[in-house]
Amino acid sequence: MAHEALVPGPGADLTQAKCAVCHEIEHVVRSRQSRAEWEDTMQRMVKRGAPLTPDEIRIITDYLATYYNREAPSAAAQAASAQAAAAQAQADPVIQLLNRNACLGCHAVEKAVVGPAFREVATRYRSDAAAAARLARKLKEGGQGAWGQVPMPPNPGLSDAEAKLIVEWVLTRQ
Amino acid sequence: MTDPIRPIDADVPPARREFLTRVATLSALAAGSGLAQRVLAQAAPPVDPPGTVPNAQVLAPKSRAFTVYSARPLTGSVTAEYHDFDVTPNDAMFIRNNLLTPDLDASKHVLRVRGLVDRPLEIPLAELKRMPSFTTQAMVECAGSGRSSFQPRASGTPWAPTGGMGCPQWTGVSLADILKRAGVKAGAGHVAFSGDDVGAVPTAPKVIRSIPLSKAMERHTMVAWAMNGGDLPKIHGYPLRVVVPGWVGSASIKWVSGIEVLDAPFKGTYMDDSYRIPRTPVAPGSKLPADAVTTEAWPVKSIITLPGPGDRYKLGGLLVVRGSAWAGEYDIERVDLSFDNGATWQPANLAPRGDRYAWRRFRLELPLTRPGELTILARATDQKGNAQPVASTWNPLGYFWNAIPRVGIVVEKA
Repeated sequence: MAHEALVPGPGADLTQAKCAVCHEIEHVVRSRQSRAEWEDTMQRMVKRGAPLTPDEIRIITDYLATYYNREAPSAAAQAASAQAAAAQAQADPVIQLLNRNACLGCHAVEKAVVGPAFREVATRYRSDAAAAARLARKLKEGGQGAWGQVPMPPNPGLSDAEAKLIVEWVLTRQ
Repeated sequence: MTDPIRPIDADVPPARREFLTRVATLSALAAGSGLAQRVLAQAAPPVDPPGTVPNAQVLAPKSRAFTVYSARPLTGSVTAEYHDFDVTPNDAMFIRNNLLTPDLDASKHVLRVRGLVDRPLEIPLAELKRMPSFTTQAMVECAGSGRSSFQPRASGTPWAPTGGMGCPQWTGVSLADILKRAGVKAGAGHVAFSGDDVGAVPTAPKVIRSIPLSKAMERHTMVAWAMNGGDLPKIHGYPLRVVVPGWVGSASIKWVSGIEVLDAPFKGTYMDDSYRIPRTPVAPGSKLPADAVTTEAWPVKSIITLPGPGDRYKLGGLLVVRGSAWAGEYDIERVDLSFDNGATWQPANLAPRGDRYAWRRFRLELPLTRPGELTILARATDQKGNAQPVASTWNPLGYFWNAIPRVGIVVEKA
């Protein structure tokens, strides 16, 4: 069965990246709530452990209250749904990998969330030629200590090629 | 065919028997190709962390009529026409996970008891199994069971109108015996259970819920290691779970490893943000009020398990209606059926009273004397006189749907 995608709009990518870490995005796609209810839902998710900054909470809440609102269902939003699915399929393959493996639940490009920002990683290993191979292995096997004591979980499902692709992308985020 | 997805007996109409046989054949083929379950929502999920059991593994033994409503977190059930059993078998028991299914080692499993007790305990599973145990048939039903019937839609997993409950036989130790062994101190009022389910992110809090001490000391409230005579399946809490009979399923913490005696209800997201309903009814579409109360025992409810929706019968034949009725803390007083959209009602025959928290099976025969569509309604009444409503009171999180169930069939001219 086709994977349902979020309606495109400001905040859609962030919503997809953050929410799909813990639950399938269909939970959002089939929901229609008032803004007040979405605010409650976001607070509930934070208490369930969702790693979100206040800015991210604001962006996702605005997105959901706009495109998944029970009081003002947007006809344009509905029509755009199929278009979104097509766009999603053509999205950056690295972003797809990051989504599928829940990387964006703990990492962001610009700032540290649970784990370090990709920009910090890129900066630290800028002049280390051996870093790429080491980091690719760390993606698959997990690690702890390089950026603090919160462990990074292993991702045994990643292929060598996928790990390499992600690391190359991260190291160009300086 | 000897492998139907629903038991076939003389009361099931011939057309239905053929249908079931056909479904069984198709399903057997589907099972061989790994498509055993109908999956409504199937995302490409992120890779699960180590120490978890994949969905495919826990779903493989499920009935071919089992429908998955959400793959992550895993939620699914059969609907009423596939639940025509006196005792819910493992393959028809509903699933509602909050997190991911853990892969636990029974030989290393320990139950820790602490908090307001004289003697904190650490009981290895093997030792727990040497305590006096008992077996009882008891209801467990997700608070959101039937949620998709609410209008406007309520937040949460869209349970089909009739899924989300089960009444298997459980074997284990009375929680009261464990608490007596630990010695409950003065001032204790609540007992919290902690599960070992695994979160998708390291920041996910553990699944912890508490119940009042009075329910914890009720002798049917148990810590169970067996379901229908065998080890708990992994998806149903292996190697150890709590069973709080008649109450919302979230109280029956699976994969339990911790019990804590508290002076007040546990404070945490699974107590404070979910499983709550407004103290007084609110306008449909409202948000949850700040003074909402926690959900406890289920109100009176029933399902019609025979016939199934759309079953076809011959004019002049005999219709056998079967179903199950229950009320969280009360006995069932009566079940009435209507064949004229509620204009008149007639009492169904109730099976003898079984275990304290088991559902009551009901049955009624009706000669089919008129052709055409026929609608069957069932209305259970508990010993306090509470009857099932036409529609349940709307609440923001969609709990306690217990309205009169309805099944339509076709009576064909011979």
